[in-house]
This record gives sequence, structure tokens and C-alpha cells, in this order.
Amino acid sequence: MRHWKVLAATAAAALLATACSSGGGSSGSTSSPVTLTIWENYGTEQNATALKNLAKAFEAQHKNITVNVVSQPADNYFALLQAAAVSKTGPDLAVMWTGLFTLQYKEFLTNLKGKIPAADLARIDPDALKWTSDQFNAANGPYVIPLENQFYIGFYNKAAFAKAGVTSVPTDWTQLFAACKKLKAAGYMPLTYGNGGQPLGAEFYPWYDMSYMMIGAHPVTNWEQLYSGQIPWTSAANEAQLAQWAKLKSNGCTNSDVLTKTDNLGDFESGKAAMMVDGTWDTQKFTSALGSKVAAFVPPFSDSPIKGVVDFAGDGLSMTNYSQHQPQALQFLEFMTTSQAAKIINAAGLIPAINGTSTSNPVNQQMLNFVSQDHMTAYPMLDNVVQGNVVNTGSKELPSVLNGSISPKSALSSMQTTLGQLPSDQRGTSYP
Amino acid sequence: MSVSEAAPGLARGSAPGQTARPRRSRLARRRRRAGILLSLPAVIVVVALLGIPIGQAVYYSMTNWNGLTAQWIGPSTYTTALSDPIFWRVLENNGLLLLSIPFAIGIPLAIAALLNEHVHGWRFFRSVYFLPTAVSWVVIGMVAVQFFALNGLLNKLLAAVGLGSVQTNLLAGQRTALLALAITFIWSMLGTNTIIFLTGMATLDPTLLEAARVDGLKRRQIFFRVTLPLLKRFVQFSFVITVISAFSALFSLIFVMTNGGPGFGTTTLEFFVYQSAFSLGQFGTGALYGIILFVIMIVVGLVQLRLIRSEDGEGW
Repeated sequence: MRHWKVLAATAAAALLATACSSGGGSSGSTSSPVTLTIWENYGTEQNATALKNLAKAFEAQHKNITVNVVSQPADNYFALLQAAAVSKTGPDLAVMWTGLFTLQYKEFLTNLKGKIPAADLARIDPDALKWTSDQFNAANGPYVIPLENQFYIGFYNKAAFAKAGVTSVPTDWTQLFAACKKLKAAGYMPLTYGNGGQPLGAEFYPWYDMSYMMIGAHPVTNWEQLYSGQIPWTSAANEAQLAQWAKLKSNGCTNSDVLTKTDNLGDFESGKAAMMVDGTWDTQKFTSALGSKVAAFVPPFSDSPIKGVVDFAGDGLSMTNYSQHQPQALQFLEFMTTSQAAKIINAAGLIPAINGTSTSNPVNQQMLNFVSQDHMTAYPMLDNVVQGNVVNTGSKELPSVLNGSISPKSALSSMQTTLGQLPSDQRGTSYP
Repeated sequence: MSVSEAAPGLARGSAPGQTARPRRSRLARRRRRAGILLSLPAVIVVVALLGIPIGQAVYYSMTNWNGLTAQWIGPSTYTTALSDPIFWRVLENNGLLLLSIPFAIGIPLAIAALLNEHVHGWRFFRSVYFLPTAVSWVVIGMVAVQFFALNGLLNKLLAAVGLGSVQTNLLAGQRTALLALAITFIWSMLGTNTIIFLTGMATLDPTLLEAARVDGLKRRQIFFRVTLPLLKRFVQFSFVITVISAFSALFSLIFVMTNGGPGFGTTTLEFFVYQSAFSLGQFGTGALYGIILFVIMIVVGLVQLRLIRSEDGEGW
């Protein structure tokens, strides 16, 4: 009888060992072929190029791993990701925006603390990591490995400035309006606005400008109060900033069809427009079209010389918690922290978020210099650190302020109402 | 003996002065049982595919469901939604769009009346007017964007006829964008409604029209006094599908033309459901607005039914 028991225990152990080894074969083995799926919402941005090249380089290093990069529509990317998470049919790795976006979707993401060696995480810009962690504290562990440092930034055409007699880059509202006047007189469209180049869909996205308006109104330490409601959106400072912004169109500084124009990027690339507010994802496009004529400037949406710049690791890759290939997915994330990855990201015209690396694009370097040499304060992207519902209402209402269709007060009231409608756990006194 | 034969008053075997339930024959009972059994699969399908999802939607509308987890909040979600000015703005847009219904019915009716007169080239024009029905809403939306744009066809036409001063970017203003949407909606309903009315006119007894002519009625009088009353059923049908379309079929048009903007100027309740659930990932809120839309559609349907039945003198 005892002999029978030993035999049964041995058989059970053998079965268990077989089960373990077969499970490892499908997920943990480094020799069996594995396909990693990555979802991205980059469209035609330079980020898409960078990610594809990262995948190629990773495949070259790991012969048994194939990386399938799937481009998803930007419009409803997060809804798709969420729906796929419910059925656990989504990707192994997914592009994720940082800030409150990450925290909103963290239920199906993996906290990478302890999953990726601390030495690898230490290579990433700590300011970048913190915005992907609970309470925006890097010590809590990131959910996202940032792809790049992004700037919401202004681009200007140096040749147009010279021809119009604008000798220095404007640093406040007064100088901006003066420059507009000169540029207009010289036959240029001073600032072009529209819905072209928006990854989110065919509509004017106002949060690049709104970020700078809030930089002009509040120090970075106070931005959390916009989240909590301690600084109401309807505050006099905010209203004054929006009123100045609306003057851009009413004073003829912009095109007349700000809400519906689709080729605003083309206007800037062709030299028809002298300035544009955009982001680093289009730097390469502009430098290719305008060469050394293009330069970066900080949108001067401030009554006094502007002292802050939006420098933020806005996106990166995160691992889904239901991924069947977690070891390989983690290998890819680790690869993103290497100097080889930094070179690939830089080659795509982006700014790597890895310590000690640099950018070879002079316009991107100029942006980095705003912080490192001009000692401007780095701000996060405002739309990543205020509630999604408020961002949504702002995205709807703010463009109409620039267009002159509604008043600043009306738009800000709508945003404040939206904030007030949120459940109390979404508008606490500090970030979640 | 059938139930009807057992009446009046008493069923077989019941004592005088005692009210008894009428007895059914064995055949009637078997038929009834068979009827229930045969309809059971359909009932199960309806309950499974409609009843349960509607029940779930009602439940989720009172939660903060994000697709993964749901936390019960309760009926207060409805009071919160009803106190949101954006919600009322969205409902107002739905209401304003209803103003386009008379045009969406009246214009096709007039076109159908002309085509029914077999004017020169009527077959060609019948195909032309039917065209909007054959074109996808997405394509219609994209063409409309180009048409209403600042540098679009509409403004070029205005400039060409010397009305350059009234040129405007209809899609840039909140109210004007809704007007542009309504115009596009009217155009897109043109084909369907024209065909409905043409079909209706083809079913009319020509002798009635002939009699009206003999009685000396003019063409216009014949249309309003004879044709239109006889087309009542077709007008009612057209009204029903146009109202339903205005409430629940404009999504793709709005998505392509304005994405609900500028502001919330062209956001309808249907579009609001999509935005809440799929743009913001708040599926509970999306379910809530979906339930409200569902209730509104029931009310609209009942009112329409009431109007139709009461005109027939039947009531409900």
C-alpha cells in the first residue's frame, strides 16, 4: 500500500513538472518562438517610426521573438484598450499616456516595480518616471516606461521673423501682439491654428495653448489646485488669460478658420505662416521642410516674461497585467531603457527620456536648453494632470473662445461645472 | 362548446348567482399551450438579447462602471445627470433638430408630387433624388464638410451670385453648425421620404383624382384635398422614421462633420452616449444616458402611436 502511495506521489510530481514546463514554454522560455503584440495610437507621428525601429532592433537581438506593432485608431484608442482588457484579448504591451491617463487605466496595467531591475529604471529620467506612478511618486513604481521627453512648444520661421523685422522672440502677450502686427504687415499669417496633425481626431486641440496660459497664470506648484478645484477654473487669472488668447484671432494674428482649418501644418511648412503651437512629435517634419529656418520658442502667453515650458514624458509603453508573454514583454521594456534604444529614438527626431543621452536635432536641443540653460521651470502637460472629464469639456469649449463664438467666462464656467459634477474621489486635494 | 358559446353570464355547472370563470375546452387549452410553447423560443431570444441587456444597462446606469469594475452609486446618478447643464444643452440640440422634421417631410412630399405628375425627365430626377439614400452617411458628412467650409462650395456659390458679404463658416459657430447638420440631415432623408411618397401616390385610385378634376378642382386643390388626405398613412410612416432617425441615426453624420462641436453645439444625446462611454471610458454614465434616450424614444413612440390611432378614432 505504501509502495502504491509513493508511486502515485511520483506520478503527480511528474505531471506537475510537465505542466510547469509546458506553461513555461509558452511564456517564459527564451528559445520557443513568441509573438509580442504592441498597440500604438501614434498615427503618422515620428513616435510611430521610433517604435517600429525599436521593434526591429529588439527582434534582431532576440531571434525567437517577433514583435507585432499594431496601429490603432487614435480617436477611440483607450476605449479599445479598455474593451480588450475586459476580455483579456488585448496586447502584451500598449502605448499609454502618462499622468492621470495612466492612473485611470492602471487596473489592467502592471506596476513595474520589482519587475524591471532597479538599475534599468535608474537610467530613466526620474521626473519622467514619477508621472507614471501612483500619487505621482516614482518610489511607488512606474506603470509606464516613457518613450521620450515631449515638449508642447511653439515653432517659428526665422526667415519670416527677419523679413518682418521681428528682432527678438516674443516673451509676453504685448510682445506677441507687436510681432503679430509686423508679421501681418509683411504678408505672413502670424500664427496658424487648425485641426491638422492632431493625433486625437480631426478637431482643434486647445490644450497645448491652455497649458501655456496656465503657466502664465500659476506657478507649477499650484497646478495641483486646478485639479482639486482650490483654484477654480473661473478664477479671474484664468479668465484674463483666455481673454488675451481670444484677442489673437480678433486682432488678426491667426487665420480666420481656426476651428475648421485642416492644413495648418502645411501653412507653416510652406512658410506661409510664421508661428505655430505644436509639439516635439512634429519637430522632424518641420526641420525636414524648413531646414535651419525653423526654431523653437516658448509660447509667450503671459503678462510678464514667460518662465516655464511644458517638458513632460507624455507617453510610453506599459505591460498589460493579462499578457501571456510577460517575460518577453519585460525584456522589451528593459530594452527601452538602453543607450541603443535612446539612439533609435533620437534618430526618429525625438528626445529620449534616458539619462545622459542627447538629441541630435538642433530644434529639440533648443527646447532642452530652455530648461538646462535658460533655467525655465518644467511643467507637465496640463491635460495629463487634470481630470479627463474637465479635459473633454475644455476640448469642446476652449476652441470656441479662440474663435470668438463664446466668452472665456462661459467656457471656464462649463469646465468648472464639469469639475463640480465629478464624484468627490475624483477631485481630492491631491493627485490620486 | 367553445367559451363564447358558454356565455352569457354562467359557465356550465355553476350555481345561479355565482360568478364562475368560463371554462376552456380541451382543444382551446391545448392550442393555448402549443401557442405558448411555440412562442417560447422567440420570447427567450428577446429576453436574452433585449431584456437582459436593458436590465443590465439600467443597473450599470446607477454605477460608476469603467468597463472593468463597477461601484454601486444608486439612483443619485440620475439626479446628478439631470442637474448637469451640458445634458440639457444636449437635449436642447435634439429638440432643435426636431424643427427640421417638417422640412425633411415637406420637401420630399413636394418633389414626389412633381415627379408623380410625370414631368419631363421624371425618371432621371427620381434616380437623382433617390441618390442620398444610396450614399453612406459618412460620405454625406464628408461632402457636407467640404460644402459648408469657409472656402467651400456654398460660400463660392454665394460669392458668384454677388453675395460674398454673407459668406460664413457655418461649421465654426455652435448654432450655425447645428443648422448645417440639420440641412444635411434633411438632404439625407430626401431620397427615402421621396420614395415613400411616390409609392404612396402610385397606390392611389386614379378615378378619385379624375373625379376631382371633373368636379373642377385645380391641381393644387386636388393635392391638398384629395392626394394628401389619402397619403396620410405614408406621411405618418415617414414622420415616424424621420423622427427616429433624428434621434438615433445621426451619429455618423455628427462624428464626421463636427464631432459634436464646436463646444457642445452639435452633440445629441446619442452622440453623448458614445462620448461618455467610449471617449471618456465611463461606461456607467454612457449607460445612464442610453437609458434616458431609450425612455425618450418610448415616449416619442407612444405619442406618435396616440396621434395615429386617435386620428383613426381607435384610441389606445
